[in-house]
Amino acid sequence: MQMNDTIVHVQDLCKFFRTFKRREGVLGAVKDLFVREQRLVKAVDHVSFDIARGEMVGYIGPNGAGKSTTIKMLTGILVPTEGEVQVNNFVPHRDRKHYTRSIGVVFGQRTQLWWDIAVIESFKLLRRIYDVSERDFDARMALFNDILRLNDFLHTPVRKLSLGERMRCDLAASLLHNPPLLFLDEPTIGLDVVAKESIREFLKTINPEFQTTILLTTHDLADIEELCRRIMIIDQGKILFDGSLEEIKRRLGKINQITLYLKDRSEQAKIAALNASLALLAQTLSAGAAKQMSANGLHLEQIDDLKCRIVYDRRLIPTEEILRQIVNSLEVRDILIEEESIEEIVKKIYTEGREAFVGERA
Amino acid sequence: MKNWLQTYLEFARVGFVNILAYRLRYYTGVITYFINVTVYYFIWRAIFTNSDHIEGFNLKQMTTYVALGWIIRSFYFSTIDQDMANDVMEGKISMTLIKPIHVQWSLVAQSLGESCFRLFMLTAPAAVVIALVFPMSGPSSALHFAGFFASTVLSFFIVASINFIAGTCAIRLKSILGLLRAKYFLLELFSGLLIPMTFFPQSIQKVMNYLPFQHISFTPVLIYLGKIQGPKIWEELGIQLLWAVAIFLIGQWWWATSIRKLSIQGG
Repeated sequence: MQMNDTIVHVQDLCKFFRTFKRREGVLGAVKDLFVREQRLVKAVDHVSFDIARGEMVGYIGPNGAGKSTTIKMLTGILVPTEGEVQVNNFVPHRDRKHYTRSIGVVFGQRTQLWWDIAVIESFKLLRRIYDVSERDFDARMALFNDILRLNDFLHTPVRKLSLGERMRCDLAASLLHNPPLLFLDEPTIGLDVVAKESIREFLKTINPEFQTTILLTTHDLADIEELCRRIMIIDQGKILFDGSLEEIKRRLGKINQITLYLKDRSEQAKIAALNASLALLAQTLSAGAAKQMSANGLHLEQIDDLKCRIVYDRRLIPTEEILRQIVNSLEVRDILIEEESIEEIVKKIYTEGREAFVGERA
Repeated sequence: MKNWLQTYLEFARVGFVNILAYRLRYYTGVITYFINVTVYYFIWRAIFTNSDHIEGFNLKQMTTYVALGWIIRSFYFSTIDQDMANDVMEGKISMTLIKPIHVQWSLVAQSLGESCFRLFMLTAPAAVVIALVFPMSGPSSALHFAGFFASTVLSFFIVASINFIAGTCAIRLKSILGLLRAKYFLLELFSGLLIPMTFFPQSIQKVMNYLPFQHISFTPVLIYLGKIQGPKIWEELGIQLLWAVAIFLIGQWWWATSIRKLSIQGG
C-alpha cells in the first residue's frame, strides 16, 4: 500500500520494445524485405521505487540506460509493458488529459513552446490550456522573472533563443500552473556554467517554496550534488542503487588521495624513507584484510621536484596514521586531502554495473 | 464550454500568428495556383473546341469550376498529416502529450487559424489574379454564394479530419511519406478537383456517392455554379456536416487506439 505522502509509486515497471535487426550488405537487405529478425529490447526492466512529496530525486544512468523511457511512462507518454505506475493518484497513461494538469515536464532536448511565435505568446496559450487565472499568472511570471530573468527575450520567437534562454523559458512554462510534481529530463544538457547555475538556483527556490516534488535526470553530477539528497542509478533497465549521496560515497568511495607539497628540494631525499614507513604501516594494518588492492592499499608517487601523491584505501588505512607518518618523515609546505569524487564512483558503477557493489564492505 | 472554446480559439490564434513567420511563402503560392489554373484552362479549352457542352458544362462554367476548385483548395487544405508525421518521427509528439489538451481539437483549431490566415494571404489574392485573367462566371445568387462559403468551411473540417487519421498512422508505421503521397493523389482525383464527378463512369460515381471525398471540392463548387438548387443546398450541407462529424469521430477512435502503441526510444 501507498503511504500518505507518497506522490510517485512505481512497482515492477517494464517497457519492452520490439526492434528489427538489420542484416548487412545487399543480400541482407533483400532478406530483410521478406523476413525480419526481431529483437526484444528491455528498456526498463522491473523498476520499483517510491517518491515522497517534496523530495528532489536525481535519476542517473549512462546513455540508453532507460532514464528517459521511465520518465516517459511517468508522464503518460508511453504505456508500460508491465507493472504499476501511480502518480498523484492517477495512472498516467490512462487519464492523460486530467493527469497532465498536475505535472510539469521539461525535456532538455526539446522545447514544449511553439517554435515560431514569441515566448510570451506560448505562455499565454499555456495559461489558457491550464486555466491559470490572470492574477496567478502575473504573480508567477514575476517570480520566474526574478530568478530566470526572462524579460529580455519574452518577445523573441523561440527559434531565435540561445539554448540557455530556451531552457529557462521551458522551465518557467512547466511551472506556470504550479504543479505539485516536476519531471526534468536532462534540464542542464549543453548549457554553460552560468546558465546551469541559474537553473539550479531556480530549482532550489521553488522546491521548498511550493513543496514541488522534483525528479530529474542528468549527466552532470554537479546537478545532483547541489540539488538532490537522493539518487537512483539505472543501467540496462534495472535500478542499481537507490539511496543518498552520502551512502553511495560511503559504500563505494574507498579511495582517498593526499597530495604533498614539499618545503624545498632538500626534502626530496626523505621521500624514500617515507615510502618505506608507509609501506610498513600498510602491511601491518591491512595484513590479511583485503588483498584486492595492490601494494596493500597504498601507493606513493613522486609528481615533480616538490610534489608527491599518495593514493590509499581509506577503509584499510586511517588518514590520521598516514598524516602522522608524513609529519614525522619530512617537512611540508602544504597537504591536500581529497576523497574520491562522485564522478569517479559513478564511472565505476557505469563500467562495472552490479560488480561495483560486490567488493564493498557493509 | 466557454473555457474550452477560449482554449481552442487561442490555438487558432497561435496557428494564425505562427504562419506569419512564413508569409513570404505565399507570394510564390499565388503564382503556383495561378499556373495550375492556367494549365487546366488550356487543357479544357482544347477539349471544348469540338463541342459546346460536355456533361452539362460549357467552357465558361468549366473554367469557373477548375479555377474555383483551386481557389478554395488554398483555403481548405491543411498540413496536419505532415506535421504529425514529422512530430512522430522526431519524437516531438511527446511535447503534445504532456499537455492537458485534446490533441485532435488542438490540431484542427491550429489549422483553422492557418486557413483563416491563408484566406487573406493566399486565397483572396489568388482569386483576384485568376478572375482578372480567365473568363469566370459569378455566383448563381447571393444565397448560392453563402451556401458555397459554408460548404467550403465544411470542406476544411472534412479534410482536416482525414489528415488527422492519416497523420495518426505515423504512430504505428513510423514513416508514412508514401501513404501521404497516395492520399494526396486520391483526394485530388476523387474530391472533384481535377475533373467533375459527373465525368467518372457510372459505377465509380455510385461508389463515390457513399464516400466523403466528393464533398471536399465538387459539392461547394456546384453550389456556387447553381447546379444545386433550393432545398437541395441544405441537404448537401447536411451531408457534408454528417461526414465531417463522422470522420472526426473515426479519427478520435483511431487516435485513442494508436497512441497506446507509441514507442519512442532514446532521446
